[in-house]
Amino acid sequence: MTALATKSSAARVRPTGSGVLTQVQVLTGRALRRLRDPRMIVLSMLQPLIMLTLFSQVFRSIANSPGFPAGVSYIDYVLPAILVTTASQAAMWSGAGLATDLRNGALARFRTLPISMASVLVGRSVFDLVRSATQLIVLLVAGAMLFGYAPTGGVPGTALALLIGLAVGTGLSWVFIALACWMRNVELMQMVGFVVIFPLMFASSAFVPIAELPSWMRLIAIINPLSYAIDAARGWALAQPAWGATIGALLTAAALTVVAGAIASRGVRRP
Amino acid sequence: MSELMIDAVEVRKTFGDVTALDGVSVAVPTGTVHGLLGHNGAGKTTLVNVLTTLFAPTGGSAAVAGFDVVRDAAEVRRRIGVTGQFASVDEDLTGTQNLVLLGRLLGAGRREASQRAVELLELFGLTEAADRPAQGYSGGMRRKLDLASSLVGRPDVVFLDEPTTGLDPESRLGMWDVVLNLVAGGTTVLLTTQYLDEADRLADTITVLAEGEVVAAGTAAELKDRVGRRTVSATLADAADIVPALDTLRRAGLEPLQSGRTLTAAVGSSRALAVVVRALDDAGIEADELGLHEPTLDDVYLTLTGARP
Repeated sequence: MTALATKSSAARVRPTGSGVLTQVQVLTGRALRRLRDPRMIVLSMLQPLIMLTLFSQVFRSIANSPGFPAGVSYIDYVLPAILVTTASQAAMWSGAGLATDLRNGALARFRTLPISMASVLVGRSVFDLVRSATQLIVLLVAGAMLFGYAPTGGVPGTALALLIGLAVGTGLSWVFIALACWMRNVELMQMVGFVVIFPLMFASSAFVPIAELPSWMRLIAIINPLSYAIDAARGWALAQPAWGATIGALLTAAALTVVAGAIASRGVRRP
Repeated sequence: MSELMIDAVEVRKTFGDVTALDGVSVAVPTGTVHGLLGHNGAGKTTLVNVLTTLFAPTGGSAAVAGFDVVRDAAEVRRRIGVTGQFASVDEDLTGTQNLVLLGRLLGAGRREASQRAVELLELFGLTEAADRPAQGYSGGMRRKLDLASSLVGRPDVVFLDEPTTGLDPESRLGMWDVVLNLVAGGTTVLLTTQYLDEADRLADTITVLAEGEVVAAGTAAELKDRVGRRTVSATLADAADIVPALDTLRRAGLEPLQSGRTLTAAVGSSRALAVVVRALDDAGIEADELGLHEPTLDDVYLTLTGARP
């Protein structure tokens, strides 16, 4: 035990603090380690696959309704939307995960280190992004192999749809990260997530054309920012680029990231 | 470096209407152990949170290692190690990974960080468990890993918030050894505790907190002197001697209390034992057992905090 006393032992760790890049890299690595648990991967992939199966089969007949774009199969119509809604739901989980970490003190030590707490949050966000990207890719592969997903936009259009989904998911995940930093209550986070995300998902252009919705819901769907992201993703996948919706979706995602990120960084410092 | 490693002056901290700290001053010389003693809710953890830059004080000021905890928070964080009430180790990571992660965050290279991890794991007897996830660690091992984590950066001052709460007696003694070794190496330690024997054993100086205020401060000996209740006790061999013995002690100027065959009396100095022995002997009264009892920190604590409105 006496070696504890000697300050001049072999390993010199001077607490100068590391650079922000090192911090983000180390903390992202810490978060990503969680993905090595195979149960975690299987379960997080299963949920969107179930959603895909349910939606693509249950709502299939919508393709025959008059408001539906002619010559488009329902799977080609709905899968780009499911990319966006799945990424949005994942955002909810990132908030709940962070709230758990904050609750059980896993992050307590980081506040007393000479590092930026924003690095801890960015690490978390990158982890969520990687998990989301994996989910979406699995969805696309399953969609193509099992349900005959083959949109006119092809692989490039689908790739753009994927990127839009991830951008929107990241923006929303920062909103939930900010909520988690201030609320720190897992149950509450999940309730808020449910109350916010589900109406946004369904009162949108995701599963049926907006024209098919009841008039009051149509109003919500038109002002629903998720509709723009969905229209943007679907537009690229179906080779009918919706530039306005795309730019709107990306700008909104960027704005959410910046504003919620600033709020989160302040909140996470509180013990 | 200043001679005071921790210098808190009239620190106030309020949360809305609740006053957690009401003008608390604590001065801890470099290289010593200071004990913060108090019940739950006395303000111990709040003071630690202020000193470790987690809370900005509402009033007053505090400096750690010569740096203001608000203005120079980053400098303070470079020099402190903190072990909280909730062991904050990463359950998914192994012991080694936990320590390497912290080393890297503190600015060490991969190799340095690994070396330091090996060193610390060895010091805390965790080498065998080094490559197992912390999830499977026992409470004592987790606490050790937590403490090791706070030492990765070779801090000048270590804050231990109730380091032995919930540990079995053996782990507790082990933790005490660690603290004593830290101090032997020149590290300053501030520990909070509800255990009076712990403060008595480890701390050079003690601050007793109650309801956010300092009710007493000093060395353990000084605090005991302040309460000043040494007692002499005598257990008589023969119950028939109780009444004459009480008379004898009263004549010797004491105010004896009786419980069974045991008589106790508060005394001023240790010489009083001799007085009692002689008085009983002169009266021909035989005692099975005679003793002089120093006040314990429990007495100190109850006297000081119990007297408050």
